[in-house]
This record gives sequence, C-alpha cells and structure tokens, in this order.
Amino acid sequence: MVSRNGGGPLEVLTVSLDGHMFAIEAVHVREILDLVPATEVPNSNPFVNSLINVRGKVVPLADLRHKFGMPQRPSTIDTRIVVIEIDLDGHQTTVGLLADKVYEVAELAAAVLEDTPKIGMTWRKEFFRCVGKRGDDFVVVLDIASIFTTTRREKSDFAFAVGGARSVA
Amino acid sequence: MSANSADPRDIFRQEAQDLLAQLEAALLDLDRRPDDGALIDTAFRALHTIKGSGAMFGFEAVAGFTHHVETAFDQVRQGKVAPSRELIGVALQAQDYMRQLIEGPERADPAAGEAILGLLRTAVDIAPSVKPSGTPPVSPAATWRIRMRLARDAMVLGTNPLLLLDELRSLGTATIVALTEDVPRLQELDPTACYVGWDVVLSTSRPRTEIEDVFIFVRDDMTLQIDQIVDEPPGRRLGEILSDRGDVAPEALKAALARQQPLGKLLLQAGAVSPDKLSAALAEQQHLRRDSAAIKPSVRVPAERLDELMDRVGELVITQSRLRQIAMTSTDVQVKGVAEEIERLALELRDTTMGIRMVPIGSLFGRFRRVVHDLSRDLGKHVELTMEGEETELDKTVIEQLNDPLVHVVRNAIDHGLEDPDERVAAGKSQSGRILLSARHAGMEVLITVSDDGRGLNRERIRARAEERGLLAADAVVGDSELLQVIFQPGFSTATQVTSLSGRGVGMDVVKRTIEGLRGTIDLGSVPNQGTKVTLRLPLTLAIIDGLLVRVGSGRYVLPLGTVEECVELSAAEDARSRGRSFLSIRGDLVPFLRLRELFAAKTPPDPFQKIVIVSSGDLKVGLVVDQVIGEHQTVIKSLSKLHADIEMFSGATILGDGAVALILDVLHLVEFGQMKEEHLKAAG
Amino acid sequence: MAKTILTVDDSPSMRQMIRLTLTDAGYQVVEAGDGAQGLAAARQQAVDMILTDLNMPVMDGVSLIRELRQLGGYAGVPIIMLTTESDADRKSAAKAAGATGWITKPFQPEQLVSVTKKVLGS
Repeated sequence: MVSRNGGGPLEVLTVSLDGHMFAIEAVHVREILDLVPATEVPNSNPFVNSLINVRGKVVPLADLRHKFGMPQRPSTIDTRIVVIEIDLDGHQTTVGLLADKVYEVAELAAAVLEDTPKIGMTWRKEFFRCVGKRGDDFVVVLDIASIFTTTRREKSDFAFAVGGARSVA
Repeated sequence: MSANSADPRDIFRQEAQDLLAQLEAALLDLDRRPDDGALIDTAFRALHTIKGSGAMFGFEAVAGFTHHVETAFDQVRQGKVAPSRELIGVALQAQDYMRQLIEGPERADPAAGEAILGLLRTAVDIAPSVKPSGTPPVSPAATWRIRMRLARDAMVLGTNPLLLLDELRSLGTATIVALTEDVPRLQELDPTACYVGWDVVLSTSRPRTEIEDVFIFVRDDMTLQIDQIVDEPPGRRLGEILSDRGDVAPEALKAALARQQPLGKLLLQAGAVSPDKLSAALAEQQHLRRDSAAIKPSVRVPAERLDELMDRVGELVITQSRLRQIAMTSTDVQVKGVAEEIERLALELRDTTMGIRMVPIGSLFGRFRRVVHDLSRDLGKHVELTMEGEETELDKTVIEQLNDPLVHVVRNAIDHGLEDPDERVAAGKSQSGRILLSARHAGMEVLITVSDDGRGLNRERIRARAEERGLLAADAVVGDSELLQVIFQPGFSTATQVTSLSGRGVGMDVVKRTIEGLRGTIDLGSVPNQGTKVTLRLPLTLAIIDGLLVRVGSGRYVLPLGTVEECVELSAAEDARSRGRSFLSIRGDLVPFLRLRELFAAKTPPDPFQKIVIVSSGDLKVGLVVDQVIGEHQTVIKSLSKLHADIEMFSGATILGDGAVALILDVLHLVEFGQMKEEHLKAAG
Repeated sequence: MAKTILTVDDSPSMRQMIRLTLTDAGYQVVEAGDGAQGLAAARQQAVDMILTDLNMPVMDGVSLIRELRQLGGYAGVPIIMLTTESDADRKSAAKAAGATGWITKPFQPEQLVSVTKKVLGS
C-alpha cells in the first residue's frame, strides 16, 4: 500500500489477535484497560457493537477479529481493551479495541509492504499501513484511520423482524 | 411683489432659484473658508426653506430629496461633521439635482438622486467630528403610562398626532396602542376629526418633564395622564393592571378569575372590558415583562464556568444514584434518610443549574427583525415579520448554535420562497410577504417553525435537480416527504439564480447537521403557491433528564420520563392473542406496539409477565413491550459517537448507578417505526 | 375692525400664501422677511397675532418671540410658530420664550384659517 514516509523507526504497541501479531501506532493509544462489562448496542455494525464505561465516559468498543474474519473466542485473563483516539469526520473520537493479549511498546524499523504474509482471506490491504520487523518476526502495522473510515461508509444492517426497510437516499 | 392672482407655484420656483443660488454661493465659499459658521447657517437655512416651502406648494420630490440633504447638513451645522471638500462637492451635486427637480422634474433621474444621497451619507459618516456633542443627563430608567386623548378638532387645528407619538418613541422604548372605540361608522365619520386615543407605555431614562414637553402646545386641548408604573413585584398580572388602570371593576375581575380560561378572553366575553382597553393593558403587561427581564439584577458568568458547573452536577447526579442503590439495600435507617435528603438536594441543584442556562428565544428572534429588514431591502421584496412565543426558553448553548441555521432558513424563505411584490399581487396575495417565526414547548421538546406564505417548494424542480445531481435515480419512486428530504443532501440547490445572499444551497445540509448535532430534527412541509414551513424540534435540555429505566433481555434502556404515558402489564393471554397483530387493546384504545425483545434481538428467556410502556410523541403513541420496568432514573445524557449516532432508535447513552452503560431510546423514531410497521402489516393484508 | 396678523418668514412664497389665505378669510396681513423686520413691524403698529417661522436670517424665530414678549403691549398677544418636523427639539425653547402654539409644515390653508379663528375669533 503506502510506504511509510520518512523511513525512520515507528513507535507501536504490539498486540495479538487470534495468534497473529499486530501493531497499533503509539500516537493513537491513550491507555490499556482490563476487560470491563460491555453493553451491546442492538442493530449496530458487528464490528463496533457495544459500549463501555471509561471513567464516566461512554466509549464504543470495537472487535478487530470481526474485521479480519477471525473466529470469535471467549475472553481470557489476558484480554485487554486498548483505548485509542482517532479522527472521525473531523471529530476526535475515543474507541476501545479488544485484544487477546497486549505485549509492549516497541520501535519498529519499517519496511515496505510488498510481501503481504498470507494471513486470512478477508483481510484487505487498506487496513494495513506497512509491515515492520520485530526481531525475526514480521509485525503488521494497522491503518486505524482507514479501518474506521471504511466502517462508516458501510451501512448498518438493520435486522428488522418486520422486513422491508425504508428506502434510503 | 406679484399680483394676487399669481400662481404660488411660480412664486415658489422663483424663490427656490434664489435660494439655490444662495446655497451654491455659500457652498463654494465654504470650500475656501470651512470654519465660517455663518456660511454653514446660510446653506442650512436655504435647504430648510426649500424643503418647507416645497412641501407646502406641492413640490414633493424636491421636498423629499432636500430633506435628506438637510439632515446630512444638520450634522455639519451641529459641529459633528466637518465640511470636507468631498462633502461640499457632493452638496453641490445635490444642489444641481434640486435645480433639475424644480425646473424640469420629468427629466430628473431618481436613480441619480439616490446615488447622490448615498454619497452624501458616506461623506457625512467618514468625516470625523469636530466638536464633541453633548449627551443628555441619564437618570435611572423608569416606566410611564401615558394616556392621551386629543380634542376632536385637534387635527383640523394643525396637530399631527403621529409626530407626537414619534417624539415619545424617541425618548426611549415605547409600546403604543391605539384606542379606536370612539371611531364611528363610516357614514358618520368626519375624516378631519380625531377619534383615536392612544395609550403609551414608555420606558425611558429621561425626566418626566421631557415627556410633558412633547405635549407643550396641545396640553390645553387634550386629556393627558402621565403616571409612573412601579412594577413591584415584577411581572404584574393582567387583572392587576386592568384594575389599576381603573378599566375593570373588581367584582368583574373576581368573577372572571373564578373560571379557567385566560382572563382577558373571559373579561371580553363578559363585556367587562372593551377590546381596546384589553389590548392596551396587555401591551403594558408585555412591556413590563420585557422591562423586568432587562432590568433585573444579573451577573455575567463565563460560559465555560457554566459548562463546568453542569458537568459537576451531572457527576453528582450519577454518584447520587449509586448512593441510592446502596441505600435501598441497606437496613440502616440513618443511611436511608441521608440518601433521600441528598437525592432531593441533587435534584433541586440539577433543576436550578439547568434553569440558569435557559434563555428565552426572544433574544434570538429579536435579531431577526434587522436581518429581515436588510434582506428584504437587498432583495427588493416586501416582508412582514411576525414572531410568536418569544418567551419560550431554551438552553443557552442551543440558542447560540441556532443562530446560523435559522438565518439561513429565513434567507431561503425570503430569497426563494417569497415572490416579488408584482408576482404576489398577480397571484392575488398581499404585496408584502409574510414570515412567521414561532416557538413553543411540546412535551419534552421545543418546536421552532419558520413559515412563509410564498410560492412553496417546487416538487418538479426538486426532482429534476435531484436526478441531475445523481441523488435520485430517474425511475425511483419516492414519497413526497422523502423527496423534500433530498434538499438536505450536500450539493443540492434549485436556485435558478444563485444570489450572493443564499449561496448555492450548500447551507441546508449544514443546517441539518447543526440541528442534529443538537439532538434535534428538521422537517419541511410545503403547499404549492401557499407557502413553506420549516419545523425544528429540539430537546428541552441537553444534559440531564428524568428517565424510566427498563430491561429488555440482558440490556437496560432508558426512556425519557416526559414521554411515558403509562405502564401496563401484558397478560399471557393478551400476549398470545396479539401475536401476528399490529396493535394492542389498552382499555379499549388500539395502540400500535413494538416488541423490543424482537427489535433488539434479545437472547435471554423472556420474563413471564411482559410489561408495556406506552410512550407518546406529539399525538402519536406506541406501546413498547419490555421484560421489566425497573424504575425512575436520573439520566445524564452522553452523546453517542459517530460510530453509533446513525442508529436512529437510540438518542444517547447514560451511565447507571452500577457503572454499566444504558442506551437512551429515541421515542420519536420508535413511534414512527411503530406506525410504519402497522402500515406495512396492513398492506401485507 | 378687522384683526391684523403679522407674518414673519424669509420665504416669499410662504408669505404670499399666508397673506392670500388670511385676507380671504377677512383678516389684515402685515409681512416681514426676517426676525428683525418683524420686531420693527410689531413696534410700528399693534398687531393682534403673530405667525413666525423658526429659521430665518438676522434674527431667528425663537429670539423674535423672546423679544416680542418684552415689548410693551405684546405680553399676551398670541404667537404661533410654523415648524417642520425636524424642529421638534426647538419647541420647548420656543415655548420657554413664550410661544402660544405651533403649526407643522406642510399644512393646508384651511388649517391656518381654523387656527387663526380659534385664537382670534373671526
């Protein structure tokens, strides 16, 4: 996709999802929380389908596993919520991301995304900024902004018992 | 002089020529000696005489034009403006034009005259003042009731009541009511007689003597009453005012109060007061209300402090609800007592704090007089603006954010909605277009409407433009209200001429977004050739509402208590009977219902006794079937992020006492959804 | 004997109109072109009413009124001012100087006659 401008090292938070390593740019990350009870939002996009309470603030909770077509697994004691802040349509928005495990903040020496590892069928190139190296492993750096923008453009599916949604312009 | 039979008009023309020559000479000399006061006086006097005599002898055009020149020159005479070279130049141009008006009025071009006046005004504005003008002594404002009844022959004797009223108006803020009770029927009417009296309520800081001075020369031939009104306690009731003024007998007042209708209406019906006196007293009441709103002691507070205060109160309310939960399960009587006290205090604090932020919408509407005036002038349309419900209160921040959207809507109404005066007359309408701004409370919302009696929205043009812009497929079948909604899409405009004022219609989508940002809605309604109405619905408060907490499946939801009509249990029998039907029978009424368990895809087993919460929005009702009604809950509203804001059935979220998040249901959408579902089922047979 | 009215105005057309109107109504009229001339005329012959403009050269209307009131025999004579609507602020000055009443320009000749009749009797 797009090669990282500059070429200098990138500070990221490394997490794992379904056994795969991902990195989130540290500049987006606000804090990391233990798992808290979430309230489901009926008729919402399955990717962001619940809300949590972060110190009095109502924050949407997103599950990246859904985006990448990974199977849903029950949470473990390692499960964490990474609270990030992103720009959505010009508004600074706080969002929580579920992660199976959170590792550390690391510096990645960047490489260009040429050789996309064969990871899953439903993964889309737009979701990744680039691939970096952490020791001997390749770590895919997520393009958070892009992931959430695509989400906005998809229409929510309303599963009405009645059937026949109104025509939407 | 000339013979008695000479035409006065000729005499005036001759005189005017002399005066114009004098004026020209004075102006030219003034150019060389700008400080010569005598020259300024001569010039001014020449203008003054031409104006006065011109009016006397039927030279209205000259009199009118010269009046403006005189006004501008008066500024020079009073020393407020220096006679700059530029000013003198324009004055000379004016003098030439005046000459034209007298010698050959048919050849004079009114546009040229206007242009000169424009230049004159500019010249007078930009030349700085020479001497400081004295300011009148200001004493604290007082409100007076002035009742004036001129003698029948007052106008015959040269008194112009309108000038008296204008003079009163110039002293301060005046509310004037004409009393027309004594005007006889047309057959008996003497057009030169003065039948009308006036009641004026005047708020002014000038002394009483200045009010009396207005009537100096007519004082002997009229009835004049000047009383100071002391509005204590402020906001007097109509009955008090009427009885104070001696217009209503106390017994009639008492009798009328015993019934429920508005006092004024009752008194009118009972014949205890005349329509005139009633409207005059009402005008006084309105005036005093505005006064007291303006005069009451107030404190200026930075807006951020208010916001901070609101946040703290919000947190207090949340914490208090947690305390309440704990107290409910506690057996300690003292703890329960204190928790109750704290609840009462927290609610009162909430109400007071929210009250601070409430401001009457009149402050916003008031600005529109000027906006409409300027727009109608710029667009060459005659507009009559009426406003209703100015005392309706809204949260301060909402009002601030409403300004731009409302200005845009009003602009559209005047620019695109109202026709030109000629078109209107041809269509059988009044020459002046009417625009009505109105605001009122409706349940938990405020409804603000902007209506015009113009040409209405042109459906064909909207359709054509929508297809042209790719917003609508050529063969798409859409209902009328959906078609109108297309107007809110970005990049839409049906203006055939894009005027510099209302732009390219990029405004309407921004208007909609602003309103929705305030958790409100905007709607359009229009009848071709009759007019258009834009309705804004806004929540009464942004922050905290009384809520009813319910449970559906494993989730809890909040309904605004103001929308809840009642809660009813759904018996198992009724539950079974209602499967496949679209409405329930509640005490004989058929109410459409929604099973929220189905709507929200609840997975847990249903409670044995389902409850129905009947909510309403406007005239429409819907029954919401839930597992459990938990109870009242002070709901601090948190907005949903953009990721969830588009789910129409939820208007926000809140944090419950135990820290969990609950969604707030949007009753309007649920009601509409219920209606839609009902129609759908009916159509399906 | 017919009553005499002094009209003081720097506009000849105004004076002419007033003269014609009032003489038609049976009054006698004396004219003056400014305040000083008016004062001189009032000294020369006793008049029964004075009609004066406000804005005049040499001596303006308010000064004239003040002077007239000091003149022997004129303390109680009605003095009517002719004003335009821009003169509103001068009315109290005129009243303080001793004016009896006012007529606003423009006015109809009939109005002038009515006022005069009311003030003087016919």
